[in-house]
Parts: sequence; C-alpha cells; structure tokens
Amino acid sequence: MPIVTFYQLDNNSQDAKQDILKACSYLLLETVKKRKWAAVLCIDKQQAEGVDEFVWQHPVDSFIPHNLVGEGPKQGTPAEITWLGQALNSRHTLINLSQTMIENHRQYQHIIDFVPVEETQKQQARERYKQYKLAGCNMQFTPANQINESN
Amino acid sequence: MSEIESFFSNPGPLANVIAGFTPREAQTTMAKAVATAIQERGSLVVEAGTGTGKTFAYLAPALLSKKKFIVSTGTKNLQEQLFHRDLPTVKKAIDKTRKTALLKGRSNYLCLHRLSQHGGGNVLLEKEVLNEFSLVRKWASTTSTGDIGELKSIKEDAKVLPIVTSTVDNCLGKDCPSYEDCYLVKARRNAMEADVIVVNHHLFFADLALKDTGFGELIPDVDVVIFDEAHQVPDIASEYFGENFSSRQVQDLTKDVIAITRSVLKDADQLGKIAEKCQMHMADLRLLFPHNPGRGNWAQKLEQNDIANQITIIEQSLNQLFEIANIHQGRDKDLDMMIERVSEFSQCLGHVTDVKRTGVSLWYETTPRQIILHLTPLSIADKFSTIMKAQNAAWIFTSATLMVDDNFDHYRNHMGLYDAKTLSLDSPFDYQNQAMLCIPRFLPEPNDRAIKYNLVDIACRLIDASKGRAFILFTSHAMMREVAALVEEKIDNPILVQGSTTKQALLDEYLKNQNAVLFGTGAFWEGVDVKGNDLLCVMIDKLPFASPDDPLLQARIEDCKKQGGNAFAQIQIPQAVITLKQGAGRLIRDETDKGVLVICDNRLVTKQYGQIFIASLPNMKRTRSLDAVAAFLNKIE
Repeated sequence: MPIVTFYQLDNNSQDAKQDILKACSYLLLETVKKRKWAAVLCIDKQQAEGVDEFVWQHPVDSFIPHNLVGEGPKQGTPAEITWLGQALNSRHTLINLSQTMIENHRQYQHIIDFVPVEETQKQQARERYKQYKLAGCNMQFTPANQINESN
Repeated sequence: MSEIESFFSNPGPLANVIAGFTPREAQTTMAKAVATAIQERGSLVVEAGTGTGKTFAYLAPALLSKKKFIVSTGTKNLQEQLFHRDLPTVKKAIDKTRKTALLKGRSNYLCLHRLSQHGGGNVLLEKEVLNEFSLVRKWASTTSTGDIGELKSIKEDAKVLPIVTSTVDNCLGKDCPSYEDCYLVKARRNAMEADVIVVNHHLFFADLALKDTGFGELIPDVDVVIFDEAHQVPDIASEYFGENFSSRQVQDLTKDVIAITRSVLKDADQLGKIAEKCQMHMADLRLLFPHNPGRGNWAQKLEQNDIANQITIIEQSLNQLFEIANIHQGRDKDLDMMIERVSEFSQCLGHVTDVKRTGVSLWYETTPRQIILHLTPLSIADKFSTIMKAQNAAWIFTSATLMVDDNFDHYRNHMGLYDAKTLSLDSPFDYQNQAMLCIPRFLPEPNDRAIKYNLVDIACRLIDASKGRAFILFTSHAMMREVAALVEEKIDNPILVQGSTTKQALLDEYLKNQNAVLFGTGAFWEGVDVKGNDLLCVMIDKLPFASPDDPLLQARIEDCKKQGGNAFAQIQIPQAVITLKQGAGRLIRDETDKGVLVICDNRLVTKQYGQIFIASLPNMKRTRSLDAVAAFLNKIE
C-alpha cells in the first residue's frame, strides 16, 4: 500500500498557483535527489507546461532532469510531467496536481496530494483523503508551509 | 593606489587616450593578476567573460613591466586587430617608443626565390593563374614587407599563392640565393628585435615544435608569453607536437625532383624515374582506400596485408630515391635540400607506422585524391609543462571560455598547468535581462532524422520574430543544407548559407542586407563579432559533441578508460561545453545588446549533464516556450 501525503496549502497565501508550483517542484527535487523516479500529474497541458517552466527556471544547483510526456529519451527521465488523459507510467512517487482521485494508486509507493485553499476544491481533496484511507493507504498530513522547514 | 589601478582609473593614462573610458573592476582585477604573474614569472589562467576588456587587461601590465613579450592569438584577423588597433592604443598611454612586430606564418610572405623560379615563363600555368601571377609580380616590385595580405586584388585562396610563397618543404633556408632579401627572414628579424611580438597559435607552435627550422627560434628570447583565445591552444598544440606524412608532400617533392632532372640535371635519368615510381606508389596507397573521403584508425588499417605491403613498397622506393639522389649530391642546392627531405620523409613514415608506440594515436584521413597519415600525442600535458619549465618566463592564458562547470580542472589537466594560478571574471553584462535561453518543448530526440522538420518550423518562427537578424548554426553541414533548403521555400528573407563564399564575404553580405539570415556551421561558432540589433537570435541545432567517429577522439576516450576514467565526463562533455559557450558568446557583445539563444536539443533539460552546460553558460533567463521567445524579441527596440 502506498503512503499518501496530503499537503495543506497556506490559506493566507497571495498566490495559490505559485504556492503549488513551489511546493511541487521542491518535493520533486527531494524525490529525485533520493534517486527515486517521480511523475507529476497535472489537470491539463497548460498546467503541465507551467510546472515544466518553473522547474527549468530553478537555480542551476537544484537542476532537475525532466521531461513532459511526449518528449525525452526512450528510457525516460527522473521526473516526468504529464496531464489527465495522457500516459501515466508507474513510478516510485506520484505528485498529483490534477485534483482527481488516482484509481490505480497501488502502483506507486508514495502519492503526494494537496489540499487547495478554494472551498469546493478543498472539499474534493477531503473526499480523496477519505477514499485513500478507505483503500488502506498509509495517510500523512502536513501543512505545505512546513515543507521547506522540515529540511 | 598601485600603478595598475591608476592606469585604469578615470582620470588616468588609459582614460586620456580612450574617450568615454569607464573603469571596470573585472578589468583592473585581471590586469593586477597579470602584473603579479609577470613579476613572479608564474603562470596564470584567466577566464574573462565577454565584455571584461581582457585585451587591455593583459597588454597594459605587460607593457608597463618593460619586459619583452609575445602575444599569441587565434587567427590572422585577430592578430591584425590586436596589432593595428589595441596595441597602438595602449602604447600611446604607456610608451610610444616600444618596438612592436606583427609576425605571420610563412605562407603569408612572398618568396622571392619561387617568384624568380616561375618568372622565366618556363612553367605551364593556367590562364587565370597567369593573370594573378602578373599582379603579384607588379606588387612585388613595390612592397616593403612582402605580406601577401597587402595584395587586395587577388583572392585569399588564389591558386597563384602556393607558387609565390614557400613551404617548410621547399624553402632553401640559409642556402637560398635570395636569403638576404627574404621577406620572411626580415619579418623574423624584426620580430627578434622587437619588444612586443604578435603571432598566432599556429605560428607559435610551429616555432616551438621546431617544425620550421633555419630561422632560429623566437620563444627563448621572451620574458612573457600571453595566449589570448587560449581555449584553442590544446588542439593546435597537439597538432604540432605530432607528425604527419601525406601523399601530397611526397608528390610535391617528387615533382620538384623531376623538374630538376628536366632542367638542371639533364643526365640524371634514373633519378627522374625513381621519383615517378615514388609518386605512383603513393597514389596506389590512396587507391586501397574507399573513394569517398574519410578518417579512421590507421593502426587497424595496417593490419591489412595489402596496406602493410604497400607501405613496405613505399619505404623501399623512398630509400632508393635517397640513394640515387645522393649520387648527385652537391650539384644543385635545391636538390641537396630535397635529399634531406627524402630522408626526413622516410623517418616520418617510420614513426607514423610504428604501431607499438604508446601514448599516441595513429590515424589517417583521405581526401578525394590524397591520403594523410597522422601521429598525434594523446596528451600534451607532459610536453607542454616541460617546455614551460625550461623557459624562465611568465605564461598567461586567457579566453572567455576555459571553465567547465565553474572550474579550470579540464583546461589545467589538458595543458599540464598544475601550478598555474587561476582567475575567473564574470561578464559585466546583465544576462538575466539582456538574454533568454530557450530549449523548445516536444522536440524529437536529437538523433532522430525527423527533427529536421521541427528545426525548419522553429527557424522560420525565429527568423520572423527577429526580422531576419538571426544566425542559424548547425553541428553538421548536411543538416545545415537540408534545413536551409526547406526554410528557403517558406520565407522571403534572403538566406546566406556557409560554403557559397568566404566567411568574411558572407558576414559582409549579412550586415549589408538587413533582413538576411545566416546559416552556418563550425566556422561561425567562433570569432564572429556582430553587435547590437544586427544579431538578435542564435539558434543551435544540437549540442556540439565531437563526432564519435573522430579517430583521435576515439583514441583519447580509450586511453581515458584504460586509466579508469569516465571519458564522457572528462573528455566529451568539457569539449562540448567549451564549444557551446563559444557559440552562445556570439549573441551578447556589449551592455546594450539583447537577444535569444535557442538550442534545439532537449538533452539540456532531460539529462543530468544538462546541469553542467547550464552552469557553464552565462546566466540567461531560461524558458521552454517559443511564445516567450517571440515576446522577448518583439520588445527589443
């Protein structure tokens, strides 16, 4: 059973979009540093390209070799960015930005999800939390603003 | 305030001769480091980013030291720029009386002996060459330097030039009847007497490797040696520390021998015949290789019986030539020199076929009609550091591209500069705001042939967004031609493709024609200086890794592996990083320049080693979006 970690995004944030990009790319870097392969699942292509752009603009000492689904070498890269409706390969870690339930969650060892600020989305995240728990996953919950401090 | 600091201050000596001079910290720092190295007779490696003003930063302390120094740079053009523009400026600010000399390679000077040899009209020259020849003769009576560069009325690659200039092979040296008037001798003498000598790397290493004998060396005489464009030194040095044996050399020599038996030594029948035989045997060796030009591992080829036999035949016929020519020794000065050459050729052939020798790569290359056998040392570190130690001088190495991944290890190990001090100076440019680096999304893998169509689309888009002020650079001629042909069908901008004319003519045309686009390869990755809005975009098709079928590279890779190293990390990546830095360096040439660099190779994003490339390039704003690139270009005024 995978570990599922939910990160609560900061309620008082000025820029929720930027927050999620920061949290996502930080967690991506941490995963890749541990030599685990990760996938990021986005809602759509536009969001995926946003993640790609953000990761690519990282300071060079936290460079992450990555690719969007549909590009890159055959053997893949440590970090693949994909979106709903595209292929989703089995990886150690899945970072889920799609705000949907991951159906075949058993193929991941770690699933990272987020609790957004907006009320309906927050409700949906709670729903996902319940479903993972019911499925028997190991649940964790952390405020996203503690991500960087935990290191 | 030190002498250097005050020299680079405003007001100060340099500010007095350059209107609007602003002191730059990096420039002063470099000048001080150079001054220290000169004082201590030490060695110094400096990477100075574009715009630091490194030329003045080494010229000033060298001139201020009042020592005798030599500056070596990459090309003849850079030599002339240095000699006619930068050096006079600094001299004006320091000491106008210092004697300076510009010295070029042998092939740049008129050879009076060869001119007179061909002057009698006894040679069969083509009409075109004959015209050029009369132009040369007219100019020859007026020139005082004999520098062929003065003769603007003939082309750089005119066929007449080999007829009126000498080579190491055919120069008579001290025995030449025209020795006292020889322009090359005069230029060398000038150089020996000068306080400052400006040369290029080829000349420097030819002299150092004693490949050009008969004139005395220049280098033992100087206190300071400065290499500008020092990133080119390792390759050029390897070339001169090695040996080669070419069918053309043999052909030229035997032709001259035959010519003598027809004019001076009419009784030397047998000599002419054996010379012809040598020529034929060399041609036969070429025939044992495929028709299409290529390169490869010569040691492996020597395992083939037919090739090994042919080499034995060539050895024997060269020996025969030597013996028979020796009978006529003392009858003609030209022939005496040729006899010497024959024995040198035999020796050289022995070296390039000695497969037991370690530490060198034996490789061959064929052109449509010729074959060249090379022996190249795998490392020049030992040889070069020995030379440096033997020379009680300060050695300065500088370039905008020496570091890989923020350190000098690669260069120092390559050159054997283990004790050298190093200094890195950032460019004063604000790359985050002046430049953008884009790796476009969803490209096929770089070795997928289909990428051609993506390159065409991206090139068209960039040409449109930059209104033609773009260099589209390629790592291969084939890809350049294919993409250029396809792009030409789609756009109205005039397209200038490398190969149609000389590099300079192409650049002139590019600058004259405001919406022309330039398609180029290797030659345009370096030494091109197009400022301002004339160059807004550089597109590069692929990371410039050296071709893996390069036999010398293969030998170096094998050698590295034998020593337990990681050849990809230690050889191939650093080489590609330096090349890419050079290509990228074309874009931003001063504080107000803006532009985008688009590299159509997603390995920069997808591979861990992408990090090394990014860390080695100037810190430009990064994007993967061609829309962002277009927006950036649109904003440039």
